[in-house]
Formats: sequence, C-alpha cells, structure tokens
Amino acid sequence: MKYIKRSIIAILAAGISFGFAEQLDVEKDELKFGFIKLTDCAPIVIAKEKGFFDDEGLSVSVIAQPNWKTLLDNVINGELDGAHMLSGQPIAATIGFGTKAHIITAFTMDLNGNGITVSNGIWEQMQENDEALDTERPAHPITADALVPVVEEKLEEGEKLQMGMVFPVSTHNYELRYWLAASGIHPGMYTETDKGGRTDAQVELSVTPPPMMPAVLEAGNIQGYCVGEPWNQQAVAKGIGVPVTTNYDVWKNNPEKVFGVSASWAEENPNTHLAVVKALIRAGKWLDETDASGTLVNRIEAARILSRPDYVGADFDVIKNSMTGFFYFQKTDKRPMPDFNVFYKYHCTYPWYSDGIWFLTQMRRWGQITESKPASWYHETAKEVYKPDVYLTAAKMLLEEGNIDKSDIPWNTDGYKPATSEFIDGITYDGRDPIGYLNSHDIGNKDSLESLASLN
Amino acid sequence: MKYKILKALDVAGLQFLDPVVRLICGEEPKVQLSKIGRFIVVPVIAFVVFLWAWGYVAPKHATKSGEVPTPSVVANAADGIWIFHKRENVKSRDYLLQGERKNTSLKKAQERLVIVLEEEKKASSLVTEAQGALSERIAQLQEPHKRELEELKALNKSVSQERKTALSNLAESVSEDSVGEKEAYLEALRDHNRLSDQEKESEKLISAKIDEIAGMKYQPLIDARFELKLVAEEKQFLQKRIEYLSKNNRSEKVAEYEAKLGEYKATLASATGKELERTGSRILRQEERIERVADSSYAQPWTFPRQIKRSLMCVFFGFILASMIAIPIGILCGLSSVFMAAMTPFIALFKPVSPIVWLPIALIVVGGFIPDPDKHWFIGAINSIPIIGAYDLNPAFIASAITVALCSLWPTLVNTALGVASIDRDHINVARVLRLGFWSRLFKIVIPSALPLIFAGLRISLGVGWMVLIAAELLSSSEGIGKFVWDMFNNGSSDSFAQMFVVVFVVGLIGMILDRTMIVFQRLVSFDEAPTSI
Repeated sequence: MKYIKRSIIAILAAGISFGFAEQLDVEKDELKFGFIKLTDCAPIVIAKEKGFFDDEGLSVSVIAQPNWKTLLDNVINGELDGAHMLSGQPIAATIGFGTKAHIITAFTMDLNGNGITVSNGIWEQMQENDEALDTERPAHPITADALVPVVEEKLEEGEKLQMGMVFPVSTHNYELRYWLAASGIHPGMYTETDKGGRTDAQVELSVTPPPMMPAVLEAGNIQGYCVGEPWNQQAVAKGIGVPVTTNYDVWKNNPEKVFGVSASWAEENPNTHLAVVKALIRAGKWLDETDASGTLVNRIEAARILSRPDYVGADFDVIKNSMTGFFYFQKTDKRPMPDFNVFYKYHCTYPWYSDGIWFLTQMRRWGQITESKPASWYHETAKEVYKPDVYLTAAKMLLEEGNIDKSDIPWNTDGYKPATSEFIDGITYDGRDPIGYLNSHDIGNKDSLESLASLN
Repeated sequence: MKYKILKALDVAGLQFLDPVVRLICGEEPKVQLSKIGRFIVVPVIAFVVFLWAWGYVAPKHATKSGEVPTPSVVANAADGIWIFHKRENVKSRDYLLQGERKNTSLKKAQERLVIVLEEEKKASSLVTEAQGALSERIAQLQEPHKRELEELKALNKSVSQERKTALSNLAESVSEDSVGEKEAYLEALRDHNRLSDQEKESEKLISAKIDEIAGMKYQPLIDARFELKLVAEEKQFLQKRIEYLSKNNRSEKVAEYEAKLGEYKATLASATGKELERTGSRILRQEERIERVADSSYAQPWTFPRQIKRSLMCVFFGFILASMIAIPIGILCGLSSVFMAAMTPFIALFKPVSPIVWLPIALIVVGGFIPDPDKHWFIGAINSIPIIGAYDLNPAFIASAITVALCSLWPTLVNTALGVASIDRDHINVARVLRLGFWSRLFKIVIPSALPLIFAGLRISLGVGWMVLIAAELLSSSEGIGKFVWDMFNNGSSDSFAQMFVVVFVVGLIGMILDRTMIVFQRLVSFDEAPTSI
C-alpha cells in the first residue's frame, strides 16, 4: 500500500514538473476489461466508444462475463485487467468472504439503478392487501408492508416466498434485505455454517445471474427479484412482473457499481491505472451532460451504443427507458426518474470510504462477517479498498487539461459523506459511526459496545 | 473420365450426384431421372415443405419471452450478425490504413455519413408517426372496454353496497340465542363474499382485454423501429470509422508522437545539466511509445465468424488430444486381453460422465498449472504461433479442449481395441512365419488392418466432440460458438430467439461438413470397399 502511495506522489511530482498536457506513460496499453450485461456498465463502454481510452493511449477490449463470480475470478487470475464490479465485491474479496484476494477501487461507476420486481400474482395479492396500491399509478415509495400478509400466508402453508438477487455481496442482496426488513420481514441470516443466508428466513433469497432473472421469474422458481437495468423494464415489457420499487426509494442516491482492479495489478501499473480512471471520469461526465433545461443530452446515444449485441444487447427501446430518465412501473405507469442512473452528479464517481463502510455494516448485519469488529476495523478496511488518492490524482490531471470543472470533484473531503436519513425507514446512516448504525436496526446482528470493548 | 468422377464422388461421400453425372453422359436416362428424383428432388421438396411449415406455424406460437421467429426473421438475424462482423473488420482495417487510401476512405465515409444522418431524421420521424398512430388506435380500441369497465365497476359497487346494507340489517335483526338465524347470517355473508369475488373476476376480464389491446403488435411501428435501428447503427459505425481514419488512426498517432519527439530532440540540442537529464529520458520514453503504437492493432471484439474459427480450433485441439490418448491405449487393449481387463472398469466408469462435470474439473486443474496466464511460458508459446496466436488461446480454451478430449476419446478407444482384436488370424500367422518383431508387426499388420475401424471411431469422436464443445464453451466462457449462444441468450433482446436459430443451422452445417470429411478419410483407408453409413 505504501508503495502505491509513494508511486502516486512520485507521479504527481513528475506531473508537476513536466506539465500535464502530456499523455501518461502507461505500463500496459492493451487492456481487457470485463463487464456484466447491465446498463450501469456504461462508463466503461462509453470510455471505449467515445474514444476516452484512445485519448489516454489505451487500446481496450470490453468483454462480457457470464456472472459475477467468473468476473471476479478472471480479475484475480489476471485474465482481465479490471472490471465493472458490485460495490461489495472488492470489499468481500479483500476481507476474505468468498474468494480471498486484495481488490481495490479508485472509481465509483454510478448511483442507483436497481429495482425490485415481483411477479404479477404477488402484485395482485399486494393490491388486495392494500387498497391504495390498486390503482394505475399507486403512490411511491411502496414499502413491503403489503407483502407481509402474503409472506405469512405462505408460511402457514409451510412454504417460503422465494426471491432472487444477483450475488451474495451485491448491492441488490442488501437492498432487498433492507426493503424486506424495513417492513419486519426477516430475510434470513448468514452464519458460519449457512453460507446461503437462509437461517431464520421468512423469505428465502437465492442467487441468479441478472440476465436470467426474467426467465426464472417466468418459470415460477422465484416470485420476485432485485436486479439492475434493463432486467426490470424487461419484465414490464414482457408482461411477466411489476417493479414495485427502485433502490432510489430504498436509499436515495446509494452507491452501486465500482471499477475494481487487483491490488497487485495497480501496483505494477500505476500510470495505467491513472489513465483508466481519467478516461472513466470523462465517460461519467459525458453520460451526465445536460442541456440548459436539465435534459440528459447524451443518453439516447449511450442507449444506442449499449444496445449493441457485444455490450448489453437488450432492445434499444427497453434500455432507453431508464437511461433517459424514465421508468415503467407498469405498462400504463411511466414516470420520470431523472436520477435513476447517476454517473457523475453529486460527486458520485469519488470512491467514498463511507460507501465502503455501509457495505461492511450490511455484511455484519446479515452475518456475512461472523464476529463483532470494532469501529476502527471498519474504517481501516474501507481505506484498504477505496483509493481516493488515485482518483484525485487523475481528477487533477483532467482539471489541468481542462476536461472537467473544479466544482465537479470534492477536493478537500475526508472521504465521508455527510450523515443521511434518506432511507425507506428513515434511519440515519453516518459512516463515521458504523457500530451505532448497526445497532439502530431491529432485524439483524447488533454489536454491543461492551463486547467490542473487550476486543480492544 | 466418367468413372474417375464417379469414383471421386463415391470416395467423397457425394453419391447423390452420381445419377447427375451418369445422366450427363447419357447413360440410361430413365433410371437416372428416377434416381435424381429420389435422392435430390425429394430432399429438396422436404426442406421446402419444412420451411413453409415453419413459416406457417411460427407466428401462431407466441410466448411471453418472445415469438418463434419465422425463416425471414432468422435470415435477418443472420444478416445482422454478418454486418456486425464486416463492420468490425472494416474498423480494424481502417485503423491500419495510411496515405492516399486512408484519405479516400475517409472522404467516402464522410459522404456516406451525410446521407445517413438525413435518413436517420426521416426514420425517426417515421417512428414518432407510427407511435402516434398506434396510441391513437389503442385509445380507440380501448375506449368501449374502458367505458364498459367503468359502468361495470359502478354497477358492482352499488350492488355490493346494497348487499352490505342488507347484511348489516340482517345482523341487526339476528336475535342473540338463535343458532339458526346466525347460521343464516353466515350463509348470507358467504354468499356476499362469493358474489364479490365473481364481480371482481368479471372486472378483471375486462381489464385483461384492455391490457391486451395496450400490448398489441403494430407492424408499421415494428418496421419503422427496425429501419431506425439499422440507420442509427450505421451512423455510429461511420462516426467511429471516421475517427479511426483521422485522429485515432495508427499512422496519425505515430506522426503526432514523432512530431513531439522532434520537439524534444530540438530541446536536447541546447539542453545541459538537469534539463538534459529530463529531455533525455523523455526522448527514450517517446521512442518506446512510438514503437509500441507502431505495431498496435485495433481492439477488435469477438464476432461470430471469428468465434466459429476459434471453436473449430478448439475442437481440433481436443480431438487430436483425444486421438493421441485413445489410439495407443486402444491398440494395447486390442493386443492384450489382460490390459483390456485392467482398462474395462475405467472405460465403463468415465465414459458416461457429462462434459458439464468434466469442465469445472479441467478448469481447476488448468488454472492450477497456469496461475498467471499472461506470463506463463506455455500460453506465451502457443500464442506466438502465427495463425493460431491471433485467437488468443487462454486457460479457458485449454480447459474446453481437454473437456472435448475427455468426452470424445471413448468411441475411438473402443473401436481401436475392437479393430485390433479382430485382425484376421491368417495375418497374425503370416507375421509369425515371417518372424516380424513387435514394432514391424504393429506398423505392418496390426494398424493397417485396424485402420477402417479406427477411423470409424474417430468419426464418431469428432461428432461427439463438436457437440460437447458448445456446452464446454458456454460454461467456461471461452470465446467460441458456445459463448456466442450464451451472450445472445443473455441479451434477451427481440433478436435473441432468431440468433439461436442461426446458431442451430451454423452448428448443424459445420457438424455435417466435419462428418463428411471424416467419411472421406475413412473411405480412403478402407481397402475392402466396405460401404459406410450415411
């Protein structure tokens, strides 16, 4: 780690003395990046297609991966240089939940962008339970309250409602759990022996790769799922399910995907890493560009690019909805959601420590981290994974090249976002106090301060 | 001449052309015509009938996941795949173009772009028009149903209200100790609930109709969108192409760097001390960069035709590996009944194992041997072989090839053993009389007489390998037909279904060609003119 810092400082020094107008001296110029077929892979695809990688002297291939596990394995074994990753993946890999490997990130790719979809049958039952939902345009946010009787009825029949998410450490898993638990439905705990996370579950969650979700829902193996786009809009387009809520309502402007590389790769290729982050920041900016009236101007083109078969490949008209800031909750219920995908606004590309800590608290809450940890551990782990130094160095170069504005980047932050209570249940999250946050929930693990005191 | 051609056709397994040749030579026209009818006309008619039946049945069978594509939709999909491939090739060529040819291409692309931009405008206005027409039509069609639904809802509401009042009146009137009256009340309540359910059901029927209308297919809109998609894709392609012909062209980049290098060299002339140090290292780095860019190439994505080639390579790798294992072991099995007895349990045990099981094992084993593929000598070595190297062989490729080998070696092994074991006794006796040594007996007697059966085994092996490969690639995500299938399935676009059908025909066709090729080999080594099955 020290090595990285030192090399960055060295580069900075070199940069200052040489002037920034020059291209970085990349160690490796033919790169392979992996992605999963989701619209939030856009920054990587756009950086390639709009020539931002070319501008840095990089020749990049972008390769679709079949699932998150294979993607991570390919980054670890060096088959890929970097990838579009779930925020939880670098953290989980670094602390050794699942495959152990030191993965770092210096770039957050986007905010929001997920939805929770239930099957038509469940939606009808929810409407029966709550009259307010029984209209063409029910009021949002929709909590899981109307789902409680459905879950209970199932339990009485000796069955459990089955829902899908995309990976054990994915945002989707935590968001779905958060949404259920906020209404008092227990989504199950991970334990030492139960790696499936179903202990005490009232609703059982299982892993399905994103592109398979609609097919599995239609086949009846699951009754609902939480996944990124375009797979919620796909369910609406095919008439097999109803998106009840988006993660914008579960947690407003939550971090979603990051660009992850292995620590050893970053160590061997510090300049390449900087060049890549530079290109990605520019791609994010391009994606969020608006005209005077606030319309996203580049999103149609982005949707067209993403609909290419070697990228996301879904129909343009399906991708277009969410990418241009609209979301169909039912065929008759199209609503504007300008912040459904945020790629640049709100300082979102910065690798916030507080984002990492939120994921750590969720891992602890649901038992993926089996032991109590002191607050200091949360801060240290986040710092091991999130690398704002690299990000700021890259941003500084872009600023001097005139590619971004000074106000686009939070230059003087300590890496923690201000506390927020914009969650569906209104609980306040402050990244500086992970233990307090953990203890503010009813369902899930809590860490008493005494037991932590004994650890220290 | 005639007989030579006939013989060649026979060996090549193209006997169906036999009567054509004979007819041309004027040999028994009647007989030949009836043969042509049977072997050429009948299959062609069958295929045409198949296409017709397909085109007729497909549109009638719609699922939520998409419609079964008609032959013309499949042809369109095939076209799309091909265009994508061609465009990527063009970009890759453009990147390397220089001088006059680059400029003419650039000019052509720019001219074309102007036209395409115009077309895009037209196409998108057509889409808006069609969309407007569709929503108008939907509203028109929904109108009566909506009215009906509203009326029904109002009616149901009033009826339900009436029943509710009646019920509460009834509840008022029930005396405290009359069991019968309470039973009657419960009965009435039950009736009420049943009727409410029925009413809801009838409302749902109408809403379902409304929904159905909302989801109606409108051919002009579909066509307009398709048109727009084609144009928009071409626009994107042209814009990218222009980039690769101008600022992102290799020669342009090199020129730019060289200009920079010239500047540095100019400073170097006057530099001393610290300045000299800095400029010196700058120059060296710039030279390195130029060298790197000068032999760089466009990062071309995998397209279907390239994936097919890689799949073929993978199947041959696996097939050769399988043959290298199966033939020697098979020969030993045939020669020695003891060895055969020793091998039997393994053959019986491993033969039925599915590729889905072999693949993860192969992946783990290969991954264990090649932890860091970029730096491993073996991967480096095979990727430096000229033509093969262009296909980026990686551990996933090797694992897929091994899986193919493990699944396909059994027919060859068993057939070889059988072939060797059933050599004519006389031949063995002759060998004994001639006092041939082990090796000459092996190469002069055993292998030649077992060859027809060995090749029969190889032919089956290759077929099995080709079938297994697709599954292996799909699982290992090694670039190839299997990965293409998986990617297209994952796209979940309206084209996906049709693209699968394209794959069906491509895989079938290649499998057929492979099989035919093996038949030729088998015939060439069969000295007894034994007929081979089709």
